[in-house]
Amino acid sequence: MVQPFAVLHALSALTLVMALAMGVPLLVAELLDDGARFAFEGGMLATAAVGGFLRILTYGKQRELRVRDGFLLVASGWAGLPVLAALPLVLYFRDLSLTRAYFEAVSAITTTGATVFVGLDGLPPSINFWRCQLQWMGGMGIIVLAIAILPMLGVGGSQLFKAETPGPMKDNKLTPRMTETAKALWLVYGLITLACTIAMKLAGMDWLDALMHAFTTMSLGGMSSHDASFAYWNSPVLEAVTIAFMLLAGMNFSTHFLLLRKRSLSVYASDPEVPAYLGVLLVSVLVIAGLLWWVGAYPEWASALRMSAFNVVSVATTTGYTSVDYGLWPVFAPMWMLIMSGFTSCSGSTGAGIKMMRTRLMAQQAVREMRRILHPKAVLPIRLGGRVVENQIIFAVLAFMLVYGVCIVVVTLLLALSGMNIVTAFSATMACINNLGPGLNEIGPSGTYASLNGVQLSLLSATMLLGRLEMFTLLIVFTPGFWRR
Amino acid sequence: MGRFATVLNLLSVVVAIFALAMLLPLAVSLTLEDGAEGAYDLAILITGVAGFLGWVVTRGGRRELQPRDGFLFVVLVWSVLPAFATVPLLVYLPGLSFTDAYFETMSALTATGATVLSGLDGLPPSINVWRCMLQWVGGMGIIVLAVAILPLLGVGGRQLLKAETPGPMKEQQLTPRIAQTAKGLWLVYLLLTVLCGLSYAWAGMDGLDAMMHAFTTVALGGFSSHDASFAYWNSALIEALAVVFMLAAGVSFGTHFVALRRVSLRPYRFDAEARAFFSVCGASVALVAGYIFLHGAHDNFPTTARYALFNVVSVATTTGYSTTDYAVWPLFAPLWMLMLSTFSTCSGSAGGGIKMMRALLMFQQALREMMRIVHPRALIPVKLGGQVVENNIIFAVLAYMLVYGATLTLITMLLTATQLDFMTAFSAAAACLNNLGPGLGEVGPTSTYAVLDDFQTWVCTFAMLLGRLELMTVFVLLTPAFWRR
Repeated sequence: MVQPFAVLHALSALTLVMALAMGVPLLVAELLDDGARFAFEGGMLATAAVGGFLRILTYGKQRELRVRDGFLLVASGWAGLPVLAALPLVLYFRDLSLTRAYFEAVSAITTTGATVFVGLDGLPPSINFWRCQLQWMGGMGIIVLAIAILPMLGVGGSQLFKAETPGPMKDNKLTPRMTETAKALWLVYGLITLACTIAMKLAGMDWLDALMHAFTTMSLGGMSSHDASFAYWNSPVLEAVTIAFMLLAGMNFSTHFLLLRKRSLSVYASDPEVPAYLGVLLVSVLVIAGLLWWVGAYPEWASALRMSAFNVVSVATTTGYTSVDYGLWPVFAPMWMLIMSGFTSCSGSTGAGIKMMRTRLMAQQAVREMRRILHPKAVLPIRLGGRVVENQIIFAVLAFMLVYGVCIVVVTLLLALSGMNIVTAFSATMACINNLGPGLNEIGPSGTYASLNGVQLSLLSATMLLGRLEMFTLLIVFTPGFWRR
Repeated sequence: MGRFATVLNLLSVVVAIFALAMLLPLAVSLTLEDGAEGAYDLAILITGVAGFLGWVVTRGGRRELQPRDGFLFVVLVWSVLPAFATVPLLVYLPGLSFTDAYFETMSALTATGATVLSGLDGLPPSINVWRCMLQWVGGMGIIVLAVAILPLLGVGGRQLLKAETPGPMKEQQLTPRIAQTAKGLWLVYLLLTVLCGLSYAWAGMDGLDAMMHAFTTVALGGFSSHDASFAYWNSALIEALAVVFMLAAGVSFGTHFVALRRVSLRPYRFDAEARAFFSVCGASVALVAGYIFLHGAHDNFPTTARYALFNVVSVATTTGYSTTDYAVWPLFAPLWMLMLSTFSTCSGSAGGGIKMMRALLMFQQALREMMRIVHPRALIPVKLGGQVVENNIIFAVLAYMLVYGATLTLITMLLTATQLDFMTAFSAAAACLNNLGPGLGEVGPTSTYAVLDDFQTWVCTFAMLLGRLELMTVFVLLTPAFWRR
């Protein structure tokens, strides 16, 4: 049933694209003469060689991809490409282990933003550029994954999103649908990134930083070229601009696409997720600002609000920028932010976690069961955006939540087994499975993942992939049933 | 109003009967002349008069109880009885606040085992007898609740149990069914308690301790008359017996009843829950023993195994005895034990948590969704003990898990918001919601809940009530639909 060669063929194309993508940091290195040119040249050459080899290996074996091939392609693409993306890092830093480089690359491509590097400001600009560009490319992949591929594969109730996406829908073939959708959404993604770059430049960044941070803002990735992240600029205007773009990137890109087509802001009001998404964020920002002001973390109300707004939005949208070490806030605040990262961002965005769509469905399902207890014979349909949701989809969503919960527990326990304390273990798990980035304690906003050992980093790399691929896509490849005919 | 009169009338009867229960500690107090008999005189008077007055006032409105009244009745019983049960404690211990006393009695009647009292060895024996007896009485209530009432109310997929319980099943009226079932189950419960008490006495406890610990073992409560809990005796024989009886009490009393009636061990073999319960406990004991031995927590392997066996079984069955401060074991071990307490015990036992039945169903549901992704059109039934489980029940169970997860998160957040550290907050929330007793951190096995402030104590009290009544029973009272006719 699975067509390994056809999948490899598609992979070879992705690999060649990756090789091309290395041309951009190579150009940056060339222009700025920052001494990292050789790393990108080597990386590009090796990646192109791998791509070429795969191409030759699968020559003439190109087939139409079917659903099961889709799982394999997505899983192997997201797990395999980081190996190649890590090559320039390994070449440039002689003492960087492959585990660490792979962690960094996975963190970039899954738009997590966790880093093992300390002293980012001192790195060659092209290396930082590559990290940020990887996040941006990862974001492109995620949008297509979330809107075109996963609904088709029927992962975790994402069939729900089918009707709302641009592109042909009836077709059961993966490729035409993916290309159609991709074109439309990437246009939106590209346009907003451009707007973000210009806005950040106007708000005070230099061009290179503006472009890099636009990359990592739109992908909700959160990597930065400065150890201090946004505290480096300490500019309220810049923070406000960034908040606006993080909020945009946390919405469904097909809604943005609809806006382009309909030219009316009503698309956001009628979106099943956006009002809840903005509502949860607003309330949380205000509550945490109130808490900070109350305990006296900030003397003035205005600075409490500013700090709360930026960091809460950044964490909840799974971006992971910081403007202050919020790990020092009363423990309720960072914990609540971590939990928010699990459910706030919209489906079809570059954010991660279980997504607001599923959260709303779940809330409705809980209410429904409560009613059913009172009226055992009543037929109680669940509606979302005016449409009745099939039981099948609710099952899928519930199973998704279940597996999500179990994954968090298992990874936290495994990290505890490796000797981590509970807050670090739990926050690392949440930060990685939600593709957020910073956790708490030593991996908190003012720390990095550099202090972790190889086993922990490998586990967390897998966790990031698990979260990014909505669990099932990755897990399914490891079931025997998948490989049977 | 007629509806409430019926419920209140029945409640009054229960309160009046409850007054009789205080005769036992009174008798103990008189026999041993421990100076606490005045407390029971007053308590019996207050409780008896309240019950009688309530009965007289509501006598007129009596009619057959409907399932919907069951919710109100159950919640009232479990929140009113602890209030009356506090009287002896408040009278004898003048320094004790009502908040703490109510926490203590709620902990007793929900068979939790969390305590705010220290210096237990110095208390009058009758006070300890009262605490332990409350657990035993609570256990009786819980078993009837679990096997007869909740299935009828259809809480969280409990309908599944209907077919397996003794007593008439068809009618919708609560009282005859509950009475029938109760008789059968209490017989088993009593037998097990007597056996347990005799074994303890034989193994070296004095008569009074043997009775008290039999009470709290069979109810899976965990109160003890010694601050050191089972470490007081430091006897491998007593610990082994306790393990046996905790395991027996963790199995559904419905299964015990069937086994007793048929005089055969086969019902246990066909009880899918019991099998899973024993396997999980066995595997976890081995895992924890191996793990802490490798980390050198105790000197030699037999000692390690002995400690692991007793404490793992005690925590997994939500009893909460301890023979050593397991919180100082490497973090993975206590964390895993805490996890075990959420799902290990069987659904017809006095244990807490989500119960093994739901855990098994959830596991199958997750597998089913994986298979469904590969085979989108396949019909895959979920089976338990050879029977196909209806979708409706799976929905109810999934919703239950969801509400459980959300409640655990919210209680943890609420406790962190009041400045508890994360470990203490999370473990207290889990220990109370699972009706386990000791948590970790500040509320660990060597400490008590006295460190909590009033607000935190009330949160924990509420958590115990929620966990005991399987969440939905309480939450349904908070919906407007419940109060409509």
